[in-house]
Amino acid sequence: MADTSGEVAAVPASGAANGLSNGAGATPAQPNNPLSRKLHKILETRLENDKEMLEALKALSAFFVENSLRTRRNLRGDIERRSLAINEEFVSIFKDVKEELESINEDVQAMSSCCQDMTSRLQAAKEQTQDLIVKTTKLQAENQRLEIRAQVADAFLSKFQLTSDEMTLLRGTRGGPVTEDFFKALGRVKQIHNDVKVLLRTNQQTAGLEIMEQMALLQETAYERLYRWAQSECRALTQESCDVSAVLTQAMEALQDRPVLYKYTLDEFGTARRSTVVRGFIDALTRGGPGGTPRPIEMHSHDPLRYVGDMLAWLHQATASEKEHLEALLKHVTAQGVKENIQEVVGHITEGVCRPLKVRIEQVILAEPGAVLLYKISNLLKFYHHTISGIVGNSAATLLTTIEEMHLLSKKIFFSSLSLHANKLMDKIELPPPDLGPSSALSQTLTLLRDVLASHDSSVVPLDARQADFVQVLSCVLDPLLQMCTVSASNLGTADMATFMVNSLYMMKTTLALFEFTDRRLEMLQFQIEAHLDTLINEQASYVLTRVGLSYIYNTIQQHRPDQGSLASMPNLDSVALKAAMAQFDRYLSAPDHLLMPQLNSLLSATVKEQIIKQSTELVCRAYGEVHAAVMNPVNAYKDPESILHRSPEQVKTLLS
Amino acid sequence: MSMEDYDFLFKIVLIGNAGVGKTCLVRRFTQGLFPPGQGATIGVDFMIKTVEINGEKVKLQIWDTAGQERFRSITQSYYRSANALILTYDITCEESFRCLPEWLREIEQYASNKVITVLVGNKIDLAERREVSQQRAEEFSEAQDMYYLETSAKESDNVEKLFLDLACRLISEARQNTLVNNVSSPLPGEGKSISYLTCCNFN
Repeated sequence: MADTSGEVAAVPASGAANGLSNGAGATPAQPNNPLSRKLHKILETRLENDKEMLEALKALSAFFVENSLRTRRNLRGDIERRSLAINEEFVSIFKDVKEELESINEDVQAMSSCCQDMTSRLQAAKEQTQDLIVKTTKLQAENQRLEIRAQVADAFLSKFQLTSDEMTLLRGTRGGPVTEDFFKALGRVKQIHNDVKVLLRTNQQTAGLEIMEQMALLQETAYERLYRWAQSECRALTQESCDVSAVLTQAMEALQDRPVLYKYTLDEFGTARRSTVVRGFIDALTRGGPGGTPRPIEMHSHDPLRYVGDMLAWLHQATASEKEHLEALLKHVTAQGVKENIQEVVGHITEGVCRPLKVRIEQVILAEPGAVLLYKISNLLKFYHHTISGIVGNSAATLLTTIEEMHLLSKKIFFSSLSLHANKLMDKIELPPPDLGPSSALSQTLTLLRDVLASHDSSVVPLDARQADFVQVLSCVLDPLLQMCTVSASNLGTADMATFMVNSLYMMKTTLALFEFTDRRLEMLQFQIEAHLDTLINEQASYVLTRVGLSYIYNTIQQHRPDQGSLASMPNLDSVALKAAMAQFDRYLSAPDHLLMPQLNSLLSATVKEQIIKQSTELVCRAYGEVHAAVMNPVNAYKDPESILHRSPEQVKTLLS
Repeated sequence: MSMEDYDFLFKIVLIGNAGVGKTCLVRRFTQGLFPPGQGATIGVDFMIKTVEINGEKVKLQIWDTAGQERFRSITQSYYRSANALILTYDITCEESFRCLPEWLREIEQYASNKVITVLVGNKIDLAERREVSQQRAEEFSEAQDMYYLETSAKESDNVEKLFLDLACRLISEARQNTLVNNVSSPLPGEGKSISYLTCCNFN
């Protein structure tokens, strides 16, 4: 700072000097008046434009503070002394600079000497270590190359190898649990095994093959472990409420890639559930629910229908539950045939209950609880066969086979029971009761039939099956029944037999009329009734004609031939005989109900009775008509016929209607 | 918590006269739909639904029975294993209400004495045709110690509430039974901590 200040101070002094010098140089050109010359000179200098002058004046103002004559005379001296002082200061400072420069020069010389020395030594060292440097360069290049390789190797490993954690997860400790992470690791193995195929298309086939083999081995190890774990888990599923965990579901999803292990695991599940279901069934039968509620099924074994129904209902619910468990277990399995797997395993699970079920149902059936109960049990079994097959499908499940067998057995015993009952009818045929009503055997059989058909009406089997059953039931019961009635009536007189048969057939008809699918049989019964009605109608007509004495007359007239001569000349057909007959006929006309066969009062059906009376009366009218026509015929030579038959056929018909 | 795991499993059986809407109630709850032109149920139908109540998963096995008389001997066998019975009648059908005592006698004869019974009056969407007043039904259910609820399977009214409230009740009962029968056979959900349930609010 001092130097700078000094230099600044020096310049103004020089400037001032220059200013004075310039002023003296311009004097000769001006006029002689000295004052005028001075003014001109001052005016010509243009001070405002001379920066050096301005600087000089500024410096001057720093020390020239008093404007007196003495100070003005001494100004030159002051300026010179100041300039001298500045120069001295400058020299003094410059001396320091000089010394410093010399010092620097010495340093630089020393450094130069040192550098020379170092250069020499370096040159020597360089000559000595040339080989080392070359090696170092090579090593560095190699290092860089190796680092790149390391990166490639790391990328390769991360893509084609598992981490140690993943390896541990897949191999696992014995008995260790399988977790979500296991499946991630397994997914990685599969991914690698698949991705590594890329290497086979390059010149890295050896590595690819080795990795592929490694992953395959690891995969099998993992699957083996997964299988053993899943097997163990399935083996533990022995509670009635089967709690399928999410991890087990995932295990099945993974195992589907190994069909054999998948199958074995399902088998293990089935075996565990099978024993559970069997135990549950036996408990339900013998011990009931927890704490005795609900009560044991066998407590109702005295009620065959409830007993069998409760067992089958329990199995229906158990089967549905087991299927639901399997559906949960195989929820994520996408392979073909899952539905068949489920049905097959459910079939296997429920197989264990078949023997205890069969033993008990057989016991019920063979105890012969009666045809009606047997029939109801048969229908119940048929219904459950249909219901449970909706769950296990139509595959040959043993449970379905067992139920079908029991259905067929109960049906067989049922029809056997009916046949046995029917056969007893033929063994000791009882005579018709005096009132010609149905025999007790008939009544009992029809009651049995009604109960069977009524239970059939409440049946739960489909319509076509019910219809087929009906045909068989009706045939099994009615055919022997008809035969029994026919044999029973065979020793009776015509009217008695016809009355008995009509009553029996009528009972059968009214029993069947309450039920569907009996139309054809009803039609047959009606035909048989009508046949016997014809007999009764004829018998009633004969009864009336005989009682009024017209029977012989009517028969003679019917058989008369013209060559036999006139009717009037024949024995017992003279006017006297005819008049006597007409007298009786008139009594009949006045009270027709008095001339009814006693058997008609035995008819169960008032409608049938009315029908017989009506139609037999028509026969009587027709007979009278023929007699009337014969008497009125002149060929027969009756004298004054109006006096013999004084009623026309129309009048008779009116009176009898 | 996954869908496969559950803490409780309950069996619910629906009974009542034919045509009162039992199947429609079940379909509405399990499948969220109202089946138009629903035919008569044959025998017994099985549906399942898992619900979550207070953070616990409850699996409901719902057994829908036929109301027709001819199936009675079959459907009776399903009462014995039911945890709960939903006795349904139709508010527009006096006959279905008058048959309730008969149904109750069957329940008494065939069901467990611990079964929870709920009386449900269905078809409240047909209120203009109502034949059974709510008060009368409430008095009946109170006298029989049953819960009572009116529903519409068609309009979804109270259907969800019916099954969820019932599930809450069943959970509560199961926990009490777990305490009582701790030594006997384990029940589903054994070992779960007991917490106070606030959603059971049957009438």
